[in-house]
Amino acid sequence: MNNSKGKRSNGDEHEDEDDEEEDEANGGGLEAWERAYADERSWESLQEDESGLLRPIDNKATYHAQYRRRIRSTPSTARIQKGLIRYLYIVVDLSRAASEMDFKPSRMAVVAKNVEAFIREFFDQNPLSQLGLVFVKDGVAQCLTELGGSPDSHIKALMGKLECSGEASLQNALELVYGYLKQVPSYGHREVLILYSALSTCDPGDIMETIQQCKKSKIRCSVVGLSAEIFICKHLCQETGGLYSIALDESHLKELLLEHAPPPPAIAEFAIASLIKMGFPQRAAEGVVSICSCHKEPKVGGGYTCPRCKARVCELPTECCVCGLTLVSSPHLARSYHHLFPITLFSEVSPSYSSKQQQRIPKNCFGCQQSLLNPGNKPGLFVACPKCSQFFCLDCDIYIHESLHNCPGCESLRHSKPVIDAEE
Amino acid sequence: MKFQIEEVTVYFPYDNIYPEQYSYMVELKRALDAKGHALLEMPTGTGKTIALLSLITSYSLSKPSNPPKLLYCTRTVHEMEKTLAELRRLHSYQVSLLGTSANYLALGLSSRKNLCINPSVVSTESRDSVDAACRKLTASWVRALAMENPNVKTCEFYENYEKVGSEAILPPGVYTLADLKVFGKEKGWCPYFLARHMVQYANVVVYSYQYLLDPKVAAIISKEMQRESVVVFDEAHNIDNVCIEALSVSVRRQTLEGASRNLSRMAQEIDRFKATDAGRLRAEYNRLVDGLAQRGNLPITDTWLSNPALPDDILKEAVPGNIRRAEHFLSHLRRLVQYLKGRLQTENVEKEGLVAFVASIYTQVGIDQKMLRFCYDRLHSLMLTLEITDTDEFLHIQTICDFATLVGTYTRGFSIIIEPFDERMPHIPDPVIQLCCHDASLAIKPVFDRFQSVVITSGTLSPIDLYPRLLNFNPVVSHSFKMSLTRDCICPMVLTRGSDQLPVSTKFDMRSDPGVVRNYGRLLLEMVSVVPDGVVCFFVSYSYMDGIVNSWNETGILKEIMQQKLVFIETPDVVETTLALDNYRRACDCGRGAVFFSVARGKVAEGIDFDSHYGRLVIMFGVPFQYTLSRILLARLEYLRETFQIKEGDFLTFDALRQAAQCVGRVIRSKADYGMMIFADKRYSRHDKRSKLPGWILSHLRDAHLNLSTDMAVHIAREFLRKMAQPYDKAGGSGRKTLLSQEDLEKMMTNGNIQEMLF
Ligand code: SF4
Ligand SMILES: [Zn+2]
Ligand SMILES: [Zn+2]
Ligand SMILES: [Zn+2]
Ligand SMILES: [Zn+2]
Repeated sequence: MNNSKGKRSNGDEHEDEDDEEEDEANGGGLEAWERAYADERSWESLQEDESGLLRPIDNKATYHAQYRRRIRSTPSTARIQKGLIRYLYIVVDLSRAASEMDFKPSRMAVVAKNVEAFIREFFDQNPLSQLGLVFVKDGVAQCLTELGGSPDSHIKALMGKLECSGEASLQNALELVYGYLKQVPSYGHREVLILYSALSTCDPGDIMETIQQCKKSKIRCSVVGLSAEIFICKHLCQETGGLYSIALDESHLKELLLEHAPPPPAIAEFAIASLIKMGFPQRAAEGVVSICSCHKEPKVGGGYTCPRCKARVCELPTECCVCGLTLVSSPHLARSYHHLFPITLFSEVSPSYSSKQQQRIPKNCFGCQQSLLNPGNKPGLFVACPKCSQFFCLDCDIYIHESLHNCPGCESLRHSKPVIDAEE
Repeated sequence: MKFQIEEVTVYFPYDNIYPEQYSYMVELKRALDAKGHALLEMPTGTGKTIALLSLITSYSLSKPSNPPKLLYCTRTVHEMEKTLAELRRLHSYQVSLLGTSANYLALGLSSRKNLCINPSVVSTESRDSVDAACRKLTASWVRALAMENPNVKTCEFYENYEKVGSEAILPPGVYTLADLKVFGKEKGWCPYFLARHMVQYANVVVYSYQYLLDPKVAAIISKEMQRESVVVFDEAHNIDNVCIEALSVSVRRQTLEGASRNLSRMAQEIDRFKATDAGRLRAEYNRLVDGLAQRGNLPITDTWLSNPALPDDILKEAVPGNIRRAEHFLSHLRRLVQYLKGRLQTENVEKEGLVAFVASIYTQVGIDQKMLRFCYDRLHSLMLTLEITDTDEFLHIQTICDFATLVGTYTRGFSIIIEPFDERMPHIPDPVIQLCCHDASLAIKPVFDRFQSVVITSGTLSPIDLYPRLLNFNPVVSHSFKMSLTRDCICPMVLTRGSDQLPVSTKFDMRSDPGVVRNYGRLLLEMVSVVPDGVVCFFVSYSYMDGIVNSWNETGILKEIMQQKLVFIETPDVVETTLALDNYRRACDCGRGAVFFSVARGKVAEGIDFDSHYGRLVIMFGVPFQYTLSRILLARLEYLRETFQIKEGDFLTFDALRQAAQCVGRVIRSKADYGMMIFADKRYSRHDKRSKLPGWILSHLRDAHLNLSTDMAVHIAREFLRKMAQPYDKAGGSGRKTLLSQEDLEKMMTNGNIQEMLF
């Protein structure tokens, strides 16, 4: 009883508004088993509303509510340091449980597909980072690809090896990854992202020790589960500061994975600004034949030349195999920039507020020009930028914060300012 | 937060309150105002204890002229400590708001075993041996002897405490047993006697059921409690059984043999006294002639267990002449023991009314009802005279005297049942004479009569109208509260069919059907592969569990289950079971996952919590009816039908369903928790069975979940577990407020719609 009490008093009061929709969406119409039988039929996504009419299940509101909770949970309005150089291992569970078919066609296939998307997104957002792949099956963990900066080679390796069998062992996976990650330079962020299908782990030793080891080495472990919450995973994530989430369905899985794409906040202890030497290699001239230092193969054209030792590498970003210089391209660096200057969180405008001040509310979203009113002309939920006071719909809110990284309102204000001045 | 309930200002040590806690307090206050009894059902995890404590102490604070005292009864020491810890928090909150005017004294009381701080005494194992060891150091004659002879050992803690006399008081505050010990060590006072002394003055006393219900203990400890007390029985769903046990005695062969040994030792002692100090025995005799069966004010250290009969039924007359002399009394007892030994020889089950039994004792060994009735008091007096301190050695003869006194006192509501062996294990001879009480209302009647308000509360008291009939009282308030939840975190299901769509049940004719056994096995197998961490299974009895686990083993299902999770089994051996539970928890912690097999009505079903990941799913295989061929049960059923017009079927179903509810309730211990409950038996889908489940389970039992087969249940489980793993908002949305702040309450009160919020 004590527990519940403790939690209770900590309850967040300011999260009141967005749960109403969540309740609605959760109270969904069909029974679980009926839904499972209904498969991929379009009527699956219908539900009865209060008046008994059928309407599509409104997942949008749920997603938005979750998204807002997520961004609010990190104090992103304050400028926080981000770890821009990440060393991430993706651990894919290919134990027997991965062959289950509650995701169509199978968990394994769905995971592979989404990991692929994730890898691309990851390098897009973290051009200075590297990742590697690890599989767990038959009670052991094996390294599929070592840390590297090339999305394609990872994806190729991933797709080649999709078979599942045996038990999963979380401890073995962590031990393996720990072995690799403890060698990476200290300015880098050590991370593990585990995609876990199984509901248990068969370990050779005491996993708690392994978890403490990871914690000590500042390895941030996150888990995306495919079936249900497992205590040990939760414990692992809590201890190491990672995220633990469970996928409801495929689209949710994708979303959960993509949450891990933007750089995490820097670990305080390593956040002291440090200078890192980097090289910006030039693209080699077309048609020149040379032996690359990374694959030790002769290559025709393409590739880059290390500015310090003139060795040839195939892809960026990477570390020069000869002199060890970090090699990046300048657009990569530029793309990391926005993480350092996140745009302010938009504030929510509740319908009650809008009904009071009807006249001040524009009918359309400043971003996409869609109507801000719900069907039936009821005012819906939308957001406003606190700087430029423009109104946006929920979709634009997510798009602006997750992809665009610029507020259209503020940008246009900046452009139009001289005009206003001139008019005065 | 603080708020008003009518004229009482309630102090509640948290910033928010659940709506059901609020309505619980409102109902409770009505009962206190009416000075009547209450029956309140509220699910665990809703903060029942703090609501109770908060309201009652606040109520006392609002009546400074005549504050009612709170006697709070718990089942275990662990619960006692938990309750006191909550109370401490509440108390410091009240003091922080009100200053010293809110000061009161609250303490726990338990046996010497839990309170003694004398290292040489506590080191002995059992409760009785600690009691005896203490007595050896503190009995009045031992202390008197020590005055003259410094070599006689006494307990320094008691001596120190004695020296201070009535000055020895506890300053106001809340004391758990551990606190009492710390305080005792600091001052050098015995915490046990200090606590015994302080209960009279304390505003809140937390102790076990026995201190009120068992006349042997109640007469010593709770005799002086004032009428203006509020008595609370927490987790009281089995209170009828506690009452019955308090007045039942079993006599086995070992008891009788022990009693014979006791008797010969007492005879030796008598001879010794005759030779050395014949005056003592004569003095006793004279006292008995004067009609002083119970020696009034005994020193506190000399009191032993008291008369087993209820206070109103104890005769206040002189001890009959023919047992006044010690030797005569002993020879009577010897004959009684002989008689009972003879009765144990029987080959058949015998059932007898008390009148016939007493008559047969009289004709066979010439002991009449009145002599029987005085056995207990006479024995007590003799033991004091003989200065016997190793009371733990004399438990056997004491049992015989308890038995005799009860047999001599009562005529209705009891019967004697003699069984040569346990019905379920006919090849092992284990003869026993049982004095069975059938009427739960007997033991609790003095409590209802004596105290102005008695509150009976638990998570499962359904159907709530049956308890007043069983306990024979009229509650002024009886109410069942639901749980307000931010999300549907419990998922009860009734599984009627196995994976082959054939019905499953533990009904007698289907029990051993291989199809049912297989279906149950497949159910568990499917479930362990979709449920993470801990799964708990309850079976209807040990023998059923043994049988089904054996056949699962033979068919290989058990092996498949063990591939998913480790399997642990409850046994009648407490130590083994504790070990199994420990390992079970460890397997859940480290991610291996585990299943625990246990038995309804067993230790685990009553006292062990499987909260959070230790129990994500509980499966109740079958309906846990009592063993219906048991003579004791049959006799009780007959009595209930004749006396209270409770139909056999109704009682059996009620009893089975409350056990089932207890079992499945093990998985939800707080609102932040989540868990599934599967009732795997086709009989649960019938309205007459199901409707006896507590309201908080029923309200989550959807119509669509009433008639499931294994595959459907698996789908529901998958979906439920995924949904529950999502982050959620603990305070509840604005539409479904499940946490009220002080403001909310005030707003509701001014709007007058407080009743709407409540159920
Ligand atoms: S008097 Fe108190 S401390 Fe001493 S032995 Fe008895 S219970 Fe223990
Ligand atoms: Zn290369
Ligand atoms: Zn180089
Ligand atoms: Zn828009
Ligand atoms: Zn803006």
